[in-house]
Amino acid sequence: MTTIAVVTGGLREPSSTRLLADRLAGAVRDHLPGQDVQMPVIELRHVGRAVVDAMLTGFPSAELEQVFDTVASADGLIAVTPAFNASFSGLFKSFFDVLPEPSLQDMPVLIAATGGTERHSLVLEHALRPMFSYLHAVVSPIAVYAATDDFAGAGAGSLDQRIDRAAAAFVRLLSACGPRERPQEYAAELGEMERLLGGLK
Amino acid sequence: MSQMQFGIFTVGDLTRDPTTGKTLSEHERIKATVEIAKKADEVGLDVFATGEHHNPPFVPSSPTTLLAYIAAQTERLLLSTSTTLITTNDPVKIAEDFSVLQHLTDGRMDIMLGRGNTGPVYPWFGKDLRAAIPLTVENYALLRAVWDEEIVNWEGKYRTPLQGFTLAPRPLDGIPPFVWHASIRSPEITELAAYYGDGFFANHIFWPASHTQQMVARYRERFAHYRHGTPEQAIVGLGGHVFMRPNSQDAVNEFRPYFDEAPVYGHGPSLEEFTADTPLTVGSPQQVIERTLSFRDYVGDYQRQLFLVDHAGLPLKTVLEQLDLLGEEVVPVLRKEFAIGRPADVPDAPTHASLVAKAREEQRTDDTPESTDQEESA
Repeated sequence: MTTIAVVTGGLREPSSTRLLADRLAGAVRDHLPGQDVQMPVIELRHVGRAVVDAMLTGFPSAELEQVFDTVASADGLIAVTPAFNASFSGLFKSFFDVLPEPSLQDMPVLIAATGGTERHSLVLEHALRPMFSYLHAVVSPIAVYAATDDFAGAGAGSLDQRIDRAAAAFVRLLSACGPRERPQEYAAELGEMERLLGGLK
Repeated sequence: MSQMQFGIFTVGDLTRDPTTGKTLSEHERIKATVEIAKKADEVGLDVFATGEHHNPPFVPSSPTTLLAYIAAQTERLLLSTSTTLITTNDPVKIAEDFSVLQHLTDGRMDIMLGRGNTGPVYPWFGKDLRAAIPLTVENYALLRAVWDEEIVNWEGKYRTPLQGFTLAPRPLDGIPPFVWHASIRSPEITELAAYYGDGFFANHIFWPASHTQQMVARYRERFAHYRHGTPEQAIVGLGGHVFMRPNSQDAVNEFRPYFDEAPVYGHGPSLEEFTADTPLTVGSPQQVIERTLSFRDYVGDYQRQLFLVDHAGLPLKTVLEQLDLLGEEVVPVLRKEFAIGRPADVPDAPTHASLVAKAREEQRTDDTPESTDQEESA
């Protein structure tokens, strides 16, 4: 079984960000024919308060911890955010700020964003890609940006194609990476401590 | 001597009382801390532990001064720390200060070591925060050497070498104070405590029980790995966080304004969410008893339980009332209940007397006929 977590930072219900996430998820599934694929969707709006509480207290609530488990134990991630003020949304960033650090290590990630106009499309390259690289994820080379026009106007057909290309690239990356082993939290720290204590004798 | 120790630990924070707007002066807070410790002794608690902080709004920057002053005015209270900073204090000075305290108190003390959670403290004492873990390991190895060896020749990375150094005064009866290693979230500390066979204290109060459970399980397993005994024989301490009134709704109503504005967790989750997610218990003494007894379900039989009762700007009078409830209604029941079903091979909480007895016992075992035989045949 392959599990691909879908994290969407849209704030409205329904939201165009969720819509884009669903279409990406569908396209990825199409590129994995005959496979058992689970795609749990995490709407960040639903854990908004828990995310802020975790920032303030330093630990996640039981509900948020379950969400963290879902993300950390997935084989891949589709992450979609609205573009706010020339970057990802604050809630989207906050979620990844409180997610325990090794959760995304070696995880294939497909990034995508929505916005009012296509002028913000580089938000994918200057905000999302560096953040996921910092978290040691493997970011898929083709990202998708969808502006309002893409959902209705002349761009709609081209969005279909972009989603399909991005999904194909992500699935290639996913297959190349193979089944993922969830990184042990604190493994590095404990190894370091054992090494230091070993050096005493 | 009781099987488990019960007591309180203080952060020593100067926090505005949100219900009156009043903040104690540093002088008032220090004097209040002494009153709290004396009350703990009077109501029959076993342990008082003070934090160590080097910046406002905290007052306890010199723990052994405070503890010695309290020791002089108490009868049986064991004095400890929560925690002593093993990273930024010179381990030689820690050994000296706590050695003097040990003699003054006739062994009525121990020490709990921690890394500290205030980044800026490191440079104030000439240390590098990035080296916190290697500093902890090296400093503790030196502290052990200074306590355990008569003449110390030592060289490390973070401190001037020692040649022919002897600690003065030597530990009371030749037995250094018992050491606990404390952690809020760092699992590395479980490894350090297990390696030396020292006690492990889980702060417990600001984190969910599941995290404490994992850390204690790991410590117990590693304690056995390093051949100090079975996992069940490891020495475990836990923090706890309570506010009580005879009527539980009164406790909730009275504590809520303090909770909402408290340092560390204030302005975040609601009181109800925080009590569900962490061991904080706000309610009647009976509720505190039930919650505390449930700790054993996820850490096993343990040795020391310390409660936080004096933070977030709670007035001294209220804190003293909490201690009355702890001493009269809660701890006597906990002593009785925790003793039920406690296996015989689970050690009691270590004290100076028990450590001296153990050392004598080990000495006797070393002088077995086997070694006498060797001497005779030689």
